[in-house]
Amino acid sequence: MGLLELLRKLKASPSHEIRVLLLGLDNAGKTTILKSLAGEEVSKVTPTQGFNIKSVKQEKWNLNVWDIGGQRNIRPYWRNYFENTDVLIYVIDSADRKRLDETGLELTELLEEEKLQGVPLLIFANKQDLLSAAPPGEIADSLGLNDIRTRTWQIQACSAMSGEGLEHGMNWVLKTCSKPK
Amino acid sequence: MAGCCSCFRKKKSPKRKVTLLLVGLDNAGKTTAIKGIQGESQDDVAPTVGFSSIELQLDNFEITVYDLGGGRKIRSIWQNYYAEVHGIIFVIDASAEDRLSECQETLETVLSQEYVKGKRVLILANKQDQEGALDEIDICDQLDLETMVNNSKCPCRVETCSAIQGSGKKVDKSLREGFRWLLQNISSDWEDLHTRVEEDMIVKKEAQAAARKARLERARKAREEREKREAEERKARGEE
Ligand SMILES: Nc1nc2c(ncn2[C@@H]2O[C@H](COP(=O)(O)OP(=O)(O)OP(=O)(O)O)[C@@H](O)[C@H]2O)c(=O)[nH]1
Ligand SMILES: Nc1nc2c(ncn2[C@@H]2O[C@H](COP(=O)(O)OP(=O)(O)OP(=O)(O)O)[C@@H](O)[C@H]2O)c(=O)[nH]1
Ligand SMILES: [Mg+2]
Ligand SMILES: [Mg+2]
Repeated sequence: MGLLELLRKLKASPSHEIRVLLLGLDNAGKTTILKSLAGEEVSKVTPTQGFNIKSVKQEKWNLNVWDIGGQRNIRPYWRNYFENTDVLIYVIDSADRKRLDETGLELTELLEEEKLQGVPLLIFANKQDLLSAAPPGEIADSLGLNDIRTRTWQIQACSAMSGEGLEHGMNWVLKTCSKPK
Repeated sequence: MAGCCSCFRKKKSPKRKVTLLLVGLDNAGKTTAIKGIQGESQDDVAPTVGFSSIELQLDNFEITVYDLGGGRKIRSIWQNYYAEVHGIIFVIDASAEDRLSECQETLETVLSQEYVKGKRVLILANKQDQEGALDEIDICDQLDLETMVNNSKCPCRVETCSAIQGSGKKVDKSLREGFRWLLQNISSDWEDLHTRVEEDMIVKKEAQAAARKARLERARKAREEREKREAEERKARGEE
């Protein structure tokens, strides 16, 4: 867990340092989103076995984004990263309607975690470039977002491939973080 | 002596916890309006495609406002909140005449909900600073509010305002006045309304819990099946 310590060092001035957790099932597109945000090549992304961390500078903020592998055998390790999370970004493959329920199950369990209570939630509804992407109302239903009362949530449609929607989503993240708690 | 007594009573009177629902078409100015009341910056408000809960103190009320997204594709989430609110604020972009029929349809749907009937509705005819913005009378006429209100038995008030005009102390007076009207009206019928909301919430929560359970069970099953299938595929490939 060397990188967890690294994070603590990175958190020098908390007011401008934002810790964002990027979670979601395998193949949702987390790493592609991260790479796209960092302006890197997105064509050769492979499944994440551990995690990636990126510091993304946008406006006056320094974002530390943690991208953690979503494969089933890695999911139990998600909890090692919950501490001090400012915003949770949950990425879904909106074209994979068969797995909407499953990703909802995973999210529901995630939101019950004590350390994530009250943490604002952004859903990146990714892969909008593909046909059959589900509309936000249906996504909210499948993910159980309608039961939420104690945290702010927002759905942002995006395509990590084209980069569309990513900036809007990150702007929401920044604005939500800059609010007094 | 009398003054002292009333002051004592004032202190003792408990704060009322009121929950309000803030809805209306996208781009109407809901988020801008609530930020104005709250005294927050209204710059650069982005469309809401989701939910946000805002806590406010006004007079003797502890208010929670649910600010929901108004876009066509997210509007279906509104129905999940009706049962638990004491009153509704419906914001209209009074300068968007081309969207009035969509507005009417949407408002009619809201007012005809079982959990909404009889509750107080504040209608904000927003964006009065824009040229050609409709006033109260136009709004009442063009939406045929009277019929809607009579059908739903919802005490209604239309207030014209310009939400973007200012925030905090500088917030549009009629916006604040509208809020006060809503709260006082809720207050005047508190016992009945409160009881109704509590009862409705029990029913709603049970239904919600059942739906949630069904959803999660379905998901667990799908996950198990998928994993079994994947394991078999691996086996077939000779990876085990
Ligand atoms: N069409 C399309 N494909 C995408 C998009 N975003 C990601 N992908 C593809 O989806 C696959 C998975 O992307 P990753 O970024 O590796 O997904 P991940 O969420 O990081 O997956 P894990 O690391 O296993 O948890 C890759 O083949 C990507 O090229 C998108 O917006 N549109
Ligand atoms: N001219 C004018 N513009 C306004 C007024 N109120 C809000 N706006 C603008 O209208 C746009 C939409 O405002 P929002 O507050 O985001 O609208 P909303 O109802 O929350 O929209 P959704 O979140 O998409 O449902 C923003 O650009 C605001 O600046 C007003 O009183 N006058
Ligand atoms: Mg990855
Ligand atoms: Mg809004």
